[in-house]
Amino acid sequence: MDRRPISLSHALRMLAGIAVTVTAALLLAAPPAAAHPLPHSVLLLDVHETSVAAELELPVSDFSRASGIALDDSTTTGQLSARGAAIRRYLAAHLHPTTRRGAAWTVAFGAMALGRAEQTSTGTYRELTVRATLTPPSGGDPRRFVLDYDAIVHQVVTHTVMVSVRRDWAAGRVAEEGRDDATEVGVIRIDTRTMSVAPLTVDLKGGSVWSGTYAMFRLGADHILEGTDHLLFLLILLLPAPLQAAGNRWRGLAKTRTAVGRTGRTTLAFTVGHSTALALSAFGRLDIPARPVETFIAFSVLVGAVHAIRPLFPGREAVVAGVFGLGHGLAFSLTLAEMNLSTTQLALSLAGFNLGIECMQLVLVLLALPSLIRLTRLRGHPALRGACALLTAGAALGWLLDRLGLANPVARAADSVGTHTSSLLLVLVATALPATLRLITAHRRTRGGDEETQRPGGTETSGDTGTSRDTETWRHGGNAARAADAS
Amino acid sequence: MEKASENNSHRRVKSRWKRAGIAFAAGTSLLFGAVYVSANAATVPSDPAGGAGTPTATAPGGAGAPTATASSSSDASDVVTAANAFLDTLDEDQQSSVLLDFTEANATAWSNLPCGSTCRVGIAFSSLSDEQLTAAKAVIKAATGTGTDSGNDQITQILAADDYLGESADGYGSGNYYLAFLGTPSADGTWQLHFGGHHLALNLTYEDGEVEGSTPYFVGVEPTNWTEDGTSYAPLSGMYDAMSAMVAGLSTDELAEAKLSESFSDVLLGPDDDGDFPTAKEGLKVGELTDDQQELVLNAIEPWVDVADDTTAASVLSTYKSELDETYISYSGSTDLSAQGDYVRIDGPGVWIEFVCQDGVVYSDQIHYHTVYRDHTTDYGGEFSF
Repeated sequence: MDRRPISLSHALRMLAGIAVTVTAALLLAAPPAAAHPLPHSVLLLDVHETSVAAELELPVSDFSRASGIALDDSTTTGQLSARGAAIRRYLAAHLHPTTRRGAAWTVAFGAMALGRAEQTSTGTYRELTVRATLTPPSGGDPRRFVLDYDAIVHQVVTHTVMVSVRRDWAAGRVAEEGRDDATEVGVIRIDTRTMSVAPLTVDLKGGSVWSGTYAMFRLGADHILEGTDHLLFLLILLLPAPLQAAGNRWRGLAKTRTAVGRTGRTTLAFTVGHSTALALSAFGRLDIPARPVETFIAFSVLVGAVHAIRPLFPGREAVVAGVFGLGHGLAFSLTLAEMNLSTTQLALSLAGFNLGIECMQLVLVLLALPSLIRLTRLRGHPALRGACALLTAGAALGWLLDRLGLANPVARAADSVGTHTSSLLLVLVATALPATLRLITAHRRTRGGDEETQRPGGTETSGDTGTSRDTETWRHGGNAARAADAS
Repeated sequence: MEKASENNSHRRVKSRWKRAGIAFAAGTSLLFGAVYVSANAATVPSDPAGGAGTPTATAPGGAGAPTATASSSSDASDVVTAANAFLDTLDEDQQSSVLLDFTEANATAWSNLPCGSTCRVGIAFSSLSDEQLTAAKAVIKAATGTGTDSGNDQITQILAADDYLGESADGYGSGNYYLAFLGTPSADGTWQLHFGGHHLALNLTYEDGEVEGSTPYFVGVEPTNWTEDGTSYAPLSGMYDAMSAMVAGLSTDELAEAKLSESFSDVLLGPDDDGDFPTAKEGLKVGELTDDQQELVLNAIEPWVDVADDTTAASVLSTYKSELDETYISYSGSTDLSAQGDYVRIDGPGVWIEFVCQDGVVYSDQIHYHTVYRDHTTDYGGEFSF
């Protein structure tokens, strides 16, 4: 996601976590169950269609003791890369995945890094992380294998390894979940009776094309719902859709038919734009740098906000939505890119993911539309629109600074909206309902007015200008809706 | 960028853990602050000299002499009497949390971690009144040995160690210890005295008025020694000294034979590793050693055996003495017992003792000790087959 550099969502989740944990602690009047006082190793698996990506997490203290390779709290990156070959050699000697019939898989080691980690009751400690790709012999099943892995455990006999699956597309496990959400598939530790380490049999069941595609659909829907900047861009662009530009000002109302048509075109153009970019970048397997894309998106929101105050490109919102949509599509593709999917999986993912995005986008636009139209009928509308636009511009500026490397509370707050998806939907529904009702009553009154005007001498002069404009435009709205139905 | 972002997410997951951990600590500190305060309030009046086996209010004897009736010839009936006296101080709800079934699940519910009631059964010391706490401690005292740095003295110091640790970190304190009777305390039935908390697990199993098993006994301490209110504490110093003397008595060749090829960052047979003794004994066979060296091995075993009442301890020690020839001693790391991974083991037909040095958790620049005493046949009184 393009909100990756931001951690407020995590902070909020953490707050919720604290609330739950503290409550639980108070209820139980006891601390949580602790695992092991000494850090254990972790082996995280990402299961792909033809291979398994592994992330080996090794506490350096026990790693050094077991391997004889000196790593400690003061080891620098330079020293690490100097010892890289020795580390790979050691790990290669202790990582042997095989098919269940004993045919060896190939193991290729990738990047390694040193970082700090903490497990329950351990305090922080230094950890070595090494990536590896495990590939079965051709035609082999990457979901069923025997894992003969005894790094550290072969020597430090009190050490344990927790083996977990982090991502598994075919089992519908696609979201960016951390290791706390990973599914444990086994623990590797010494059998103290025989003082030997038995290989772990991994047998992942339930893989299917549908669960993967459906998971991608949900991911797409969540993505647009939680992605405040994508949604805000579209909504701010739609904000002046029911208005008529005159010179460099928004003056008067466009006909409702024009407004709805503009909304439809803008939404469609945004969809076409981001779908195209998403497909191209995903299939082209382009290595898209995240930061420029995210900066571009923040910029697009800012442009939309300015346009809502003073028309920059009146009548050409669709074009702008399409062009900026390309950028948003690139951002979506970042999510797909890091999944390392096969071409088939990618195609299905793309379809599911994009469909999820479009469906959710359609729902949100439909929910927002009555309010957007109703808003322009309010007397204080220009001020209200200005306030909305300024708020959006503020958020966009915050994001812009954040994506340029200046973390700030504005960006964090703006991103946090995306974590309250249910409240967001509630607000949309709550505003859509009265707005729709108001529009319908206005529509009915217009019809009544039509009848009345046909009667000679039956004209009414009551009603403020707002109401009369309301009736005037909604009549067109009704036509436009019918036209849209027919098309 | 992509790699970087993956690393970021990786790091973030951890920092999320970390933040959640910090937040949790903050959240529970209040709770444990309260527990700690109440525990202190409860222990201070009944524990004036800081754990050197001070007689309680019921002891009529002079200050210098330990209570002649309770300690020198303690047997199972004294423990039953003390247990019933404790139960009499409790209300029904409290009694139901102390009196539990002697099941494998309850018996093995112990840990070396400060995990409170999530990993233990029984009643929390923090929930007891002064009178109840005094009665609870009297049960432990009646059931355990009278030596210095062993038995009741050692256990009392472990609780004091946790109060001391609680001054520097959250979640520690003598209120976070739990006492249970598995089965009904009686002079003719089978039941178990089950007591423990952070760095302590005491399991004394009684059958027909005798101790059938005084293991598993886990004991650890962090820091290894400290001074408070002018009193110095080092509850595992007797064990450390005895083990050090044992390995110091070995020749270079014997040391080479005793050296294990594996490394240890904790004891091998900790909680949940019941019955999983290595089938092959490793190290140096005690039967091949001189009488003096064998004496040192027996001396090294004694501080652990002394956890039980003096009569039981003497009987168990004589059994281990008769098994010395088939007993093996081994070590890993260095014989200094001063650095992470320094480890000594005594493994006989019956006895199993491990003593290991590991990096401190709260005092991370010091090592601390973990040690476990098991018996191949009489863990939990031999009531369960694992």
